[in-house]
Amino acid sequence: MTMNQPQAHAITMPALSDTMSNGRLVKWTKKSGDEVKKGDVIAEVETDKAVMDVEAFQDGYLSGPLAGEGTEAPVGQTIGYITDNLADVSSVKSTAVEAARLPAGNGNAAAPSPVAQARVSAVLAASMASLRPSPLRDTGPATMRTSGEPAAPKIPLAAGGPRSAIEAGPPYRVERASSLREAVARNMIASAPTPSFRVTAQLALEPLLAAAQAQHYALSLLLARACALTIVAHPLFNAAYTPDGLARRDRVDIGIAIDNGEGLITPVLRDAARRPLDELAEDWTQLRDKAKSRRLAPADYSGATFYVSDLGVFSVVYAFDSIIPIGASAILSIGASGPQGAFCTLSCDHRVVFGADAARFLATLEQHLKDPAKLFAVETQQ
Amino acid sequence: MSQELLYWQALNRALDHEMAADESVFTLGEDVGLYGGSYRVTEGLYAKYGEWRVRDTPISENSFTGLGVGAALVGTRPVVEIMTINLMLLALDSIINGAAKIPFMSGGQFKMPLVVRVPGGIARQLAAQHAQRLEHTLMNVPGLRIAVPATPQDAYWQLRQAIQSDDPIIVLEHELLYFTKGPVDFVAEAPPMHRAAVRREGRDLTIVGYSRHAVLAQEAASELAKEGIGAEVIDLRSLKPIDWNTCAASLEKTHRLLIVEEDCRFAGAGAEIAATLTERCFHSLDAPAQRLAGLDMPTPYNGALEAATIPQVPDIVAAARELCRPTPETKAA
Amino acid sequence: MERETLHHMLRDMLLSRAFEERAAEEYSKGNIVGFLHLYPGEEAVAAGVINAIGPSDYIVSNYREHAHALVRGTPAREVMAELFGRSTGMSGGMGGSMHMFDRERRFMGGYAIVGQTCPIAIGIAYAIAMRGLPEVVVSFLGDGAVNQGTFHESLNMASLWRLPVLFVCENNHYAIGTEIHRHSAVPEVFKRVAAYNIPTEKIDGMDVLKVHNATKQALDRIRRGGGPQFIECETYRYRGHSMADPGTYRPAVELKAYQTWDPIAAAIRDVEFKYPTPDELAEVGPDNIKLFADHLIDDEHLAEAEVEELKVDVKKIVDDAVAFAAQSAQPTMDAAWGHLNGSHRHETLM
Repeated sequence: MTMNQPQAHAITMPALSDTMSNGRLVKWTKKSGDEVKKGDVIAEVETDKAVMDVEAFQDGYLSGPLAGEGTEAPVGQTIGYITDNLADVSSVKSTAVEAARLPAGNGNAAAPSPVAQARVSAVLAASMASLRPSPLRDTGPATMRTSGEPAAPKIPLAAGGPRSAIEAGPPYRVERASSLREAVARNMIASAPTPSFRVTAQLALEPLLAAAQAQHYALSLLLARACALTIVAHPLFNAAYTPDGLARRDRVDIGIAIDNGEGLITPVLRDAARRPLDELAEDWTQLRDKAKSRRLAPADYSGATFYVSDLGVFSVVYAFDSIIPIGASAILSIGASGPQGAFCTLSCDHRVVFGADAARFLATLEQHLKDPAKLFAVETQQ
Repeated sequence: MSQELLYWQALNRALDHEMAADESVFTLGEDVGLYGGSYRVTEGLYAKYGEWRVRDTPISENSFTGLGVGAALVGTRPVVEIMTINLMLLALDSIINGAAKIPFMSGGQFKMPLVVRVPGGIARQLAAQHAQRLEHTLMNVPGLRIAVPATPQDAYWQLRQAIQSDDPIIVLEHELLYFTKGPVDFVAEAPPMHRAAVRREGRDLTIVGYSRHAVLAQEAASELAKEGIGAEVIDLRSLKPIDWNTCAASLEKTHRLLIVEEDCRFAGAGAEIAATLTERCFHSLDAPAQRLAGLDMPTPYNGALEAATIPQVPDIVAAARELCRPTPETKAA
Repeated sequence: MERETLHHMLRDMLLSRAFEERAAEEYSKGNIVGFLHLYPGEEAVAAGVINAIGPSDYIVSNYREHAHALVRGTPAREVMAELFGRSTGMSGGMGGSMHMFDRERRFMGGYAIVGQTCPIAIGIAYAIAMRGLPEVVVSFLGDGAVNQGTFHESLNMASLWRLPVLFVCENNHYAIGTEIHRHSAVPEVFKRVAAYNIPTEKIDGMDVLKVHNATKQALDRIRRGGGPQFIECETYRYRGHSMADPGTYRPAVELKAYQTWDPIAAAIRDVEFKYPTPDELAEVGPDNIKLFADHLIDDEHLAEAEVEELKVDVKKIVDDAVAFAAQSAQPTMDAAWGHLNGSHRHETLM
């Protein structure tokens, strides 16, 4: 301020208790133009608890504009002025009036100003943080190097990829996935480090189809049976990799992939190599119904030792392969049937089976598909 | 017939009515007598009942609380006022090793009709040593009961019930509730002390809170209603025992749980509520129980930071909104 | 003093000694577990004080309390059963050595926190004063409690409101292993108490008659409205702080000295430190019991034969107590829940 400007010290509504946010000006004990000494009582204010004196904090002259008696004002709002010189008393009008015109209840001037709100408050952030699943530690299995096959690269298991790639594109809205989709995502991420290879064969499915229609069994059921018997002849396909060694299971459980409209699910036929086909057929019917009505329990779809996935109904698909689920060492993917048969791709975990094993497996499977009679027998000798 | 009273007035009436009805009821604490109480709760009682029944104590929290324990052993009904929960730390030996355990350790020979009244919580910039909540500490003590009235009516009812009870009961008040107003009916029949109250009905989520945050939750619910979100607000009224049935019944309806508390998050009261309701209602829940709690930080003096350390109404609204975001998994109502 | 009272006090002291020694034995056999704080050496205080109060007065004690309960009249069986943790114990097996309560005999605990007896005692006294009754509360505490905050807070309030409490400090000079001159800036307890305007007396705690007389006078002053009183009894414990403590911080010489009451005789250089057995005690010289017994015999209140008879009686009581405790039932979990939740049976909580 330059020398020409009148020195005016604002009198503000004081905070007179720890819980006070507004005060009511009861009365001025001095008039505009009165001399005031530091410490003099110049007004009375009513707080939430009592009527208290307001003291002057400097020497000078009480000056208007003064807030009217009976006005309520928040703590910190200007209610009057003290000027250094008597001559200045009346001249401090315009700026004061503007300040005094601030409506009383506006923006809790006395209350602590809201924290420069980040998008989310600290309290809210702490609350949300606890709901996010923490990234799993990378416990990917140690890879076993075979000749020529490099170990699969380690893939971080945190859910979701980098956001920045998405943010660089068009606006988007994040939609919570269904629990099924989330479960599949978790399983696929777990499977990602498995070192795999694929062997494809073209296999004729007509004999099997004919047999299925003749005996009124589902094609999937017979496919599963065929694979089961093949596995019995090639037991390596029933083993699973563990860091301590191969886990050799003593029965064959086949998981058959089906689409329940919402996504992929794999009901499991237990002991598919040894049980009577009728029994298996009944199980299969029940499982399929459950899958349709979305009532498959974890016990129904977990723990398969081998998987079969058939997209043959889609004539456009001539071949495909699948990701090997954790717990199995191979999965058979069946494409649409052409005149020379369907392309069947066997995806294998290279820590358990080798190329030649896969080839031999497919050869045996071919036999079973050509001659389905054996599938109907109750017990097969190994 | 009810009248509008301030929370502190309701407590004052409760004490007065109990002291008039039963000679063995007396109160003690710092400045409760001549001064009328730091929060005015004992105003006028000294003049009416005299110095033996309204006793000004020296600053000796552990021993005057222990005095209450001893007096309770011989059949009087002391109401100890500890000025704030921060000072209750000094009296924990008398409360936990004494009041909570004597009935048990004596093989049931002695009752402990002791009430300890104490306000807690964040007020306005009173700094770290005067701005904490310790209900989680008290909740974990077998043998104690804890009432947390959020309204003047509950303050009246629960203090009277606590005094009449033969168990050691902590009545947890809140500095910022003392000057809130509400209807108080002296003659209406009181609900059981530890039953929770549904303050507002709704179908979209259940907000569980207590003390001042039960009040804030109701404010948040009004805001949410404008956006079409129906929040059911439960005021627990008690932290030990907790009325799980009322909460569970609500979750059967809404399937979503938001717990709001002022206490620090880690091992706070909300942790027990979240754990137990998740155990009981897992199959009814569409989402994990969410806790909105104070930050794990001593309360800073700075006003803006202080306000940011505890859930405020906008936080509750935002959390509820997020919790209610529709997903394919939402069960049919 | 009446012959009957003297006889009674001797019996109390003999019973306490026999009981405590037997408790030590049962502890080493594993029948008593946890903390066990024993009293031998301090019997004169319990016998002297508690025989001066009436049945409507209250006692608040700490964890070295078995003798206090016995002298008060709780049957030895119930005390021993509590040590054994049985349902027939004073506290139903819920409290053990440190938490003994007997409502009928106004024995108000049993507290493990040093200094906790003081606020509880002034609380009971406050209720008495509020109702204008003539009862008195006796609060036992050790010299270690004298530095606890609650001690000072309670003395202050007792004095401020003239509460009817008799504080009895059993000053055995040690707070576990720390002698009083190492734990207190002012080792004279009575000096510190005087600062609260409470009449205090320091007496010889090994002499039951002195303890008894001092107590009677203090009680008289209280009942006539004189406010709280304090008696500091200088005493000594023959054993360690508890069974877990060998007490090797005390020089053998010192122990012997108290046993013999003869400082010169005690300065025997090649004395090997170990616990004195009752025989050794008898052989070395008079202890507080023997002193008293001798005094009674000298004054012709008692014949030697009678003393021996008392010893036999007392042994029978203790044996019976152990047998009773050993075959008493264990408390059940249901009983424990009952003790916890028993007091709100009449209320609807929810």
